[in-house]
Amino acid sequence: MHWGPLCRFLWLCPCLAYLQAMPIHRVQDDSRDLIKTIVTRINDTSHTQSVSSLQRIAGLDFIPGLQPVLSLSKMDETLAVYQQILTRLPPRNVVQILNDLENLRDLLYLLAVSKGCPFPHSSGLKTLESLDGVLEASRYSMEVVTLSRLQASLQDMLQQLDLGPRC
Amino acid sequence: MGITDDGNLKISWSSPTLTPFPLQYQVKYSENSTAIMREVDEIVSATSLLVDSVLPGSSYEVQVRGKRLDGPGAWSDWSTPHFYTIQDVLYFPPKILTSVGSNVSFHCIYKNENKLVSSKKIVWWMNLAEKIPQSQYSVVSDRVSKVTFCNLNATKPRGKFTYDAVYCCSEHECHHRYAELYVIDVNVNISCETDGYLTKMTCRWSTNSIQSLVGSTLQLRYHRRSLYCSDIPSIHPVSEPKDCHLQKDGFYECVFQPIFLLSGYTMWIRINHSLGSLDSPPTCVLPDSVVKPLPPPSVKAEMTVNIGLLKISWEKPIFPENNLQFQIRYGLSGKEVQWKMYEVYDAKAKSASLPVPDLCAAYAVQVRCKRLDGLGYWSNWSNPAYTVVMDIKVPTRGPEFWRIINGDMTKKEKNVTLLWKPLMKNDSLCSVRRYVINHQTSRNGTWAQDVGNHTRFTFLWTEPAHTVTILAVNSVGVSVANFNLTLSWHMSKVHIVQSFSAYPLNSSCVILSWMLSPSEYKLMYFIVEWRTPNEDNEIKWLRIPSSVKKYYIHDHFIPIEKYQFSLYPIFVEGVGKPKIINTFIQEDIEKHQNDAGLYIVVLIIISSLVLLLGTLLISHQRMKKLFWEDVPNPKNCSWAQGLNFQKPETFEHLFFKHTDSVTFGPLLLEPETISEDISVDASWKNKDEMAPATVVSLLLATSDLGKRSFCASDQCNGANFSDAEGTEVTCEDESRRQPSVKYAMLVSNSKSSETDEEQGLINSSVSKCFSSKNSPLKDSFSDTSWEIETQAFLILSDQHPKIISPHLTFSEGLDELLKMEGNFPEENHDEKSVYYLGVTSVKKRESDVFLTDASRVLYPFPAHCLFTDIRILRDSCSHLVENNFNLGTSVKKTFVSYMPQFQTCSTQTHKIMENKMCDLTV
Repeated sequence: MHWGPLCRFLWLCPCLAYLQAMPIHRVQDDSRDLIKTIVTRINDTSHTQSVSSLQRIAGLDFIPGLQPVLSLSKMDETLAVYQQILTRLPPRNVVQILNDLENLRDLLYLLAVSKGCPFPHSSGLKTLESLDGVLEASRYSMEVVTLSRLQASLQDMLQQLDLGPRC
Repeated sequence: MGITDDGNLKISWSSPTLTPFPLQYQVKYSENSTAIMREVDEIVSATSLLVDSVLPGSSYEVQVRGKRLDGPGAWSDWSTPHFYTIQDVLYFPPKILTSVGSNVSFHCIYKNENKLVSSKKIVWWMNLAEKIPQSQYSVVSDRVSKVTFCNLNATKPRGKFTYDAVYCCSEHECHHRYAELYVIDVNVNISCETDGYLTKMTCRWSTNSIQSLVGSTLQLRYHRRSLYCSDIPSIHPVSEPKDCHLQKDGFYECVFQPIFLLSGYTMWIRINHSLGSLDSPPTCVLPDSVVKPLPPPSVKAEMTVNIGLLKISWEKPIFPENNLQFQIRYGLSGKEVQWKMYEVYDAKAKSASLPVPDLCAAYAVQVRCKRLDGLGYWSNWSNPAYTVVMDIKVPTRGPEFWRIINGDMTKKEKNVTLLWKPLMKNDSLCSVRRYVINHQTSRNGTWAQDVGNHTRFTFLWTEPAHTVTILAVNSVGVSVANFNLTLSWHMSKVHIVQSFSAYPLNSSCVILSWMLSPSEYKLMYFIVEWRTPNEDNEIKWLRIPSSVKKYYIHDHFIPIEKYQFSLYPIFVEGVGKPKIINTFIQEDIEKHQNDAGLYIVVLIIISSLVLLLGTLLISHQRMKKLFWEDVPNPKNCSWAQGLNFQKPETFEHLFFKHTDSVTFGPLLLEPETISEDISVDASWKNKDEMAPATVVSLLLATSDLGKRSFCASDQCNGANFSDAEGTEVTCEDESRRQPSVKYAMLVSNSKSSETDEEQGLINSSVSKCFSSKNSPLKDSFSDTSWEIETQAFLILSDQHPKIISPHLTFSEGLDELLKMEGNFPEENHDEKSVYYLGVTSVKKRESDVFLTDASRVLYPFPAHCLFTDIRILRDSCSHLVENNFNLGTSVKKTFVSYMPQFQTCSTQTHKIMENKMCDLTV
């Protein structure tokens, strides 16, 4: 019954070691810069720029959209979903974005630790594996919509980071 | 079989294949050495057996057989025996591979001549060259010695040997076997660079320091940390190898793509060798910290209009998102651009404006960037951007100009041509489209004329004052600061340049200097104008500030040309009067260059003068001595009876005593050099008649000189005289005479006669010819208004042996004596102006000559040459003075008595020079 606090403490130890070596403001700056970098990468992918924001794409509701308030944990959860989806896309275009997302999640983790927030790593969607068939059939749509929504989500996260996100 | 690092004998074998159950092994070995001989039989489950306490020089025979470990089974056959002999020196470990800075130890058991050497007596040597200090030894047992090396340095290859040989020796003997020590420098520098798109990290490392180890392989291994690097990177037990490729430059290059921008990549190089593996010190790289950004795009450069700055603009590259600093380099566009640098630390800045010296030149500009926090690398320089030369501002000033006035200067209407130099880019900023001339006169007011892009313009100057201004116009506007020039009739007469001189330095430079006099007008500047007079159109000019008094003109001056320099003072009120000089460039240059030569010439001239003066002084002394020898013996002179001639100061007294009625001129005791040839050419200026030419020569010369000087021509003798005056002239036969007159003196106390100028000239000639009757001539002379005073000639000859030196006294007694001689014509005794008395031959003194104004002949003169009255017009004296002899004003100086008997007398009333006395040798 007393294993919970102990495990949390052990989990926090390496994070605290990070924070001790790395000033938190640098973590914040790096988070912002990395979000901007990912956004720029998506912008640099030419075919994503032609997607109209006015036209709703049906059948891809599992891809996260804009959310009114993003906490750190919610951010991590959203990014985990995108990672899951992007992993199934052709690696040529998105592999670097995947790595960036992983770094970003680590940064959010550090930020959460710095705030003393419980921050369980999200494992993404459990039902996503069943959608492999959909992904196979609409690879282009998946890629365009995913990147487009990821870009929007990242810009939203950027604003949240400037405001000081909750746990 | 082999010796382990611990000094044990390791017996190992391989298990039989395809055995489905584990085995046990029975090992049988025999040890044979000088000390012991034994047989051992052991059963083990492993595939090796360690035998301790091995001794150098021992030999082992080993056999192994196997059997099922559990359950029933039988032993296999014994393997074939294996033999192993341990050397007399046993090193363990026999070889060590280690890295620089590490510590290692070798053990040794040494058997010498079948006897183990005590560990206390073992010494260690390195490479058979240096003994290892005993402080590094330690005794492990009575048989085992240990040496330790601390903080090892890299092994220096010796030829093909890439290791150090470590020897275990007795005190005085080393066995030839040795241990091998390989020390490798594994400090491999790994440098990484992330590309501008943040997708690839390239790491490079060199193998130069570890190439010496033959048979080794190198591998980069890394471990990625999720975020950032630890403070002290360490080799993680879990690592991945990274493929690297050797490049032409000897570097290995490894590419990480894709990358985790914020993950720490800890990397190291692993050296694999048969002796073991070594790892280089690990390096941690954060890809985000080693970014080499893309160069800034869209770099543009331009010169800002009306501001005049070089404006450079750029854009931030898409990556990285960090704040960036920028570096600008710019320079005049050309083959080899001399770059100037400018730093921009404002991350948001996208442009910079820089002052540049030349606004009208094309500049090349490049920009690069780097993270503002200093991490990473500078990007490459952007593609160069170039400025376009265009008008930046209005011209800073109008052109400097000057005028040429054409036509008659005396007329009121003159054609004036304005000349100006085209504005350079620095002044026009950067071009001139046209020039505009503003005129201003009191009567016609102000008007402007557009003259296009020409540089000269002619207009008519009609009013007393006419002011012109030339404006320069470009695409931006009209020049603000302009020069005025007022053409003024009145001011053209104002002269303030006192002096003006030009000194050519060389063919390319002339120094001008000038002095000014005070002026009430306000001086603005000067204009210097120069030209070659031969080339009318070639006029050059310069504007010089008013404060300058010396100026260097640089031009190509042709050395042989003559140049005219003019200095114009320019006042507010108008152009002043110029000072004009002419200069020969070559002459002046040579003058400067030959100053030293000039000084030498002057010195030579001075020396020559001194020498001449000395010669004259010597001659003077000799003459003085000569004449004093000729002083007649006063005891033979009647007038000198009773006088003491031993006292020179009484000379004057001598004269006073005997010449009561005679006025003496200044007693000139010092004879002077009179080696002159005096010719008096006088001609009658009367309208009706011309006097015969007469030449009066006073000579002290050799015979040649006298011959030349005495004009002994027929035409100059009787002919002229007789024709003109009816005077008998006795001419001496030239063939008989070879006059060598040694001395001649004309003495006079005459006063200068200013009235002589009114008289005509008489050409008189005193030479070998003299007129015997001079009364007509004399009369004719008396008609004139001469004021010739008494003069006398004395001519000493050394070539007339018959002339007797008279040694006569000079008084009335002389007349008497002359009368007694009876050869002198007695005429005009009232004209008693006989002044001279003695002529002597230098050589023989045989002849004396007496000349009286009454007789005007010489006696006892040889018949062939009579000396009579010779009258010299004052005017002719003037002529004489002008040409040869200064008789007019310096007669007193010129004619000096040389003996005390000599006297001068006062002039006659009609001021005619009465008598002449001469001594002619024939």
